[in-house]
Amino acid sequence: MSYILSILIFLPLAAALIIMILPTSFRERFKYIALGTTIIQFIISVFIYLNFNNTASFAGVNKENQFQLLEKVSWIRLDLGSIGKLEIDYLLGIDGLSMPFLILSALVMFVATLASWEIKTNLKAFFALLLLLNTAIIGVFCALDFFLFYIFYELMLLPLYFLIGMWGGVRREYAAIKFFLYTLFGSVFMLLVIIGLYFSVVNPATGNHTFNMILMMDPANYLDGSIFSSITDQGILGISARLLAFIVLFVAFAIKVPVVPLHTWLPDAHVEAPTPISIILAGLLLKVGGYGILRVCFSIFPDAALSSAWWLGLLGVISIIYGALNALAQTDLKRLIAYSSVSHMGFVLLGIASCTTEGVSGAMLQMISHGGLSAMLFFLVGMIYQRVHDREIANFRGLALIMPQFTVFVMIAFFASLGLPGFSAFMAEAFSLIGAFTSQDVNGLLPRWMAIAGSLGILLSAAYFLWTLQRMFFGQTRLKGGDEWLVRLTDVNLREKFALIPLAALALLLGIFPGLVFSKMNTSVLAFIQMISG
Amino acid sequence: MNDFIPGISYSIDNTLGSLGFFLPEIVLVIGFLVVIISDLFLTHKNKQICFILTLITLLIAGFLSFTSLNSVSASLFGGMIRLDHQAILFKLLICAASILFVLFVRFNKALQSTGKGTGDMHSILLAVHLGLSLMVMSANLLMIYLSVEMVSVGSYLMVGYSSRNAKQSEAAMKYALFGAVCSAIMLYGISLLYGFTGTLDLGDPSFISGILAIQDFSWGLAIVMVLVGIAFKLSLVPFHFWSPDVYEGAPTPVTAFLSTAPKIAGFALLINFLWVFQPMGVGGLSNSLFNFNSVLGAVAILSMVIGNFGAIWQNNVKRMLAYSSIGHTGFMLMTLFVFSESGFKALIFYMAIYVIMNMAAFMMVDEIEERSGQKDIDGYKGFGKYIGLLMTGMVIVLISLTGLPPTAGFTAKFLVFSAAWEAFKLSGSPILMAMIMTGAISTVISLFYYFKIPMNAFLRDSESPSVLLPVTPKTYLSLFLVFLLILFMIFPSLLLRLL
Repeated sequence: MSYILSILIFLPLAAALIIMILPTSFRERFKYIALGTTIIQFIISVFIYLNFNNTASFAGVNKENQFQLLEKVSWIRLDLGSIGKLEIDYLLGIDGLSMPFLILSALVMFVATLASWEIKTNLKAFFALLLLLNTAIIGVFCALDFFLFYIFYELMLLPLYFLIGMWGGVRREYAAIKFFLYTLFGSVFMLLVIIGLYFSVVNPATGNHTFNMILMMDPANYLDGSIFSSITDQGILGISARLLAFIVLFVAFAIKVPVVPLHTWLPDAHVEAPTPISIILAGLLLKVGGYGILRVCFSIFPDAALSSAWWLGLLGVISIIYGALNALAQTDLKRLIAYSSVSHMGFVLLGIASCTTEGVSGAMLQMISHGGLSAMLFFLVGMIYQRVHDREIANFRGLALIMPQFTVFVMIAFFASLGLPGFSAFMAEAFSLIGAFTSQDVNGLLPRWMAIAGSLGILLSAAYFLWTLQRMFFGQTRLKGGDEWLVRLTDVNLREKFALIPLAALALLLGIFPGLVFSKMNTSVLAFIQMISG
Repeated sequence: MNDFIPGISYSIDNTLGSLGFFLPEIVLVIGFLVVIISDLFLTHKNKQICFILTLITLLIAGFLSFTSLNSVSASLFGGMIRLDHQAILFKLLICAASILFVLFVRFNKALQSTGKGTGDMHSILLAVHLGLSLMVMSANLLMIYLSVEMVSVGSYLMVGYSSRNAKQSEAAMKYALFGAVCSAIMLYGISLLYGFTGTLDLGDPSFISGILAIQDFSWGLAIVMVLVGIAFKLSLVPFHFWSPDVYEGAPTPVTAFLSTAPKIAGFALLINFLWVFQPMGVGGLSNSLFNFNSVLGAVAILSMVIGNFGAIWQNNVKRMLAYSSIGHTGFMLMTLFVFSESGFKALIFYMAIYVIMNMAAFMMVDEIEERSGQKDIDGYKGFGKYIGLLMTGMVIVLISLTGLPPTAGFTAKFLVFSAAWEAFKLSGSPILMAMIMTGAISTVISLFYYFKIPMNAFLRDSESPSVLLPVTPKTYLSLFLVFLLILFMIFPSLLLRLL
């Protein structure tokens, strides 16, 4: 029981090793091994969800003993002479801020594995890398030691590079290395901040310099006169060291989210990546960015976060509007959805920046909701692309007549995404905007016009989704490929239904009963707000 | 003359007493002689006799060093050399590099098939190894010069060992000329220092007092001249011009050796030399007599920038690795600014990992070159399909060279950054911040050029499948090194507890 998180993390790694060892003649079985792994993970994560204790004494956030399923093994101890001893632990644990992501990860991974049926070449490498990526993502959501967190965080890049680069589209080389360099640029500087942090923070129990993120959240653990101490705020080249560290960490995670203007890798990576990888990118990778902002940036540097909340809110609003306007201008369906992701993730940033209970809850729900919806949208695009190898919006018309079931799923996904009441995105965006709106009264961080500008984003997303629906699905059937495409554009098959129905169900369920998520994370969000507002 | 007579018995006692600490070097000398003799008389019976004898010699020398790891430090041979924990660690690293080199030579087709055989290569190696050991331990300016020359002469021979074409001869010639000029400058610096202070012993108090009595400019110039010789060994910018040509022209095992062992010894020497200018009990080089911080900081930044940017434009794999090793050396320099235990720990750990990954990288490059004839990154197209296992191992080595998890290269890089941070914290000097920033940015740049290899091997397809010869033991040897890279990531304490 106490090793349940380790099992969740390393199960896919074990499966990857099995796939590596099995001879290539088992090629057709690999996908079932991967699928079986994700199903087991899903069952475990549902089990964790059901047994999750949501009372205030298990809120977590900045109290180590309140984390659940805690695992702590001492890993690296190094005597550094004059500085003191260094302490790195294998420390895992979950609270209300991370637990929802475990279910989301298992679900999105399941869908991505089902989408991998379209992969035909080099199956061994593909599934081994996919499972390695799975390990890294779950690891990021569970790690509470910054060193461990960073290792999992960086470990995500490598499989993604090869997954985009080897199975991607025409410009895959460019997209893969651009993605890798962009993210690495952010994370290398993050490493420097981590080093500065462990110099500053001492574990009060042992007197060692520690990487424990929870201890980093308590200002009392900072050494007097250390570089990131909040009492004697030191400067690096004239800027407050804590503010600088916050900015560096924020940029690292903002690249992942992505926040405009650091988003330019995303359209390339999404368009060139094969469908399962697009699903993982949109469904999980972007959430790692949002989770990092909550768990690392805001929790460790709350003072700097509060003082820059206005700018974060502004970046959120810019992302919402800019992403939506770009989506309106796209002619490629996958690019459109990629930009819609930028826009929707803007709500996450806006909600977090408001530093209100409503806003942060909304941001969390938005991440879960968008994780499911974007996976669904990319899966749907992948279905068309797999059938006719084209996804230009202008090349399709009247698809509703030939693919009625597909159209139903598309309508669910589109309406859910544009924030129709009754679907998860409505709840999530509403709460984010309420948070932004009340912020002026509650803590005075965000002005009201940001909430109003943000709601403009909902309007724009309605415009681009409905316009696309009208162009591609309604009217007389007219296809660029003529009769040949007519034959190839078959309706949804059983495997695809298996992938789409859980995602559609999630969107509806969270839209009607958002309490399913809210109730589990509420105490943690309250503890989080209390911590950052000091 | 009579003045020296009472000293004789003391000298003899001192020398005899020192011999006990000198066992690994004595083993090397005996091994050297045995290898030369058996090369003359026994090679026709057993072609690999020199290989076996050299390997045994190195293992014994390494073992002897290892057993004395925790002994107290001692000044030997009248202060000519100084043995301490740190010197033994450096010697062990050099020993590891030599052992890997010997195995590499054993399975390298080009060297095995030269007309002269590999006997001389092995005896030269043992001589160079001896020189490197002395370099690590030297505590006297004359000893420094002698050991550096011993290593240099041996290295020239190694580089030109199988020179069959103009390129290899050019490499050896360039190396010898450049090396000769640099050591001449160094010798001139040493003679100036001797003239200023009247002593060659770095530990002698009159050395510092003598220097202080001289004008700043004069002793600054003399020290810079000595540093030139060391910088040449380390191929630091601006004394790096030889390295890409030599690395490309030399036989690949020699390149692998030159990019590791002499650098380890060079760093040890640099530490020994800088130690003198370290006032007792005060941390940070900024407090020493000569402002090394700016000089070394500038050299580190330049080496990282030129090494990494130079590597981007290379198409020959060995040249690329040469430039990248300039960058790595600049990166390693960052550990010296703390000039304390934690800095040296970081340096030694980084070097240990660097030996493993660099040796593995060159072995893989050599394996690919032998099996397919490809020397260029462009030529690696589609190799992921044909030699998947080897290329996968190579990807892990390249990740480690970049310094990313899950490899020990990351842990090493992390420790170096820690040391540099500590130095910045102590001194707060902006050049250290600039250096740390350069280190971080060069990581991103290095990813770009290292990943040209997997990009060609895995992301691109070749038009025609290359002819591939069968696997050699080098593949398994390099994969074992890859295994070590992952092992030391998960259990760094295996190495760290030795430090």
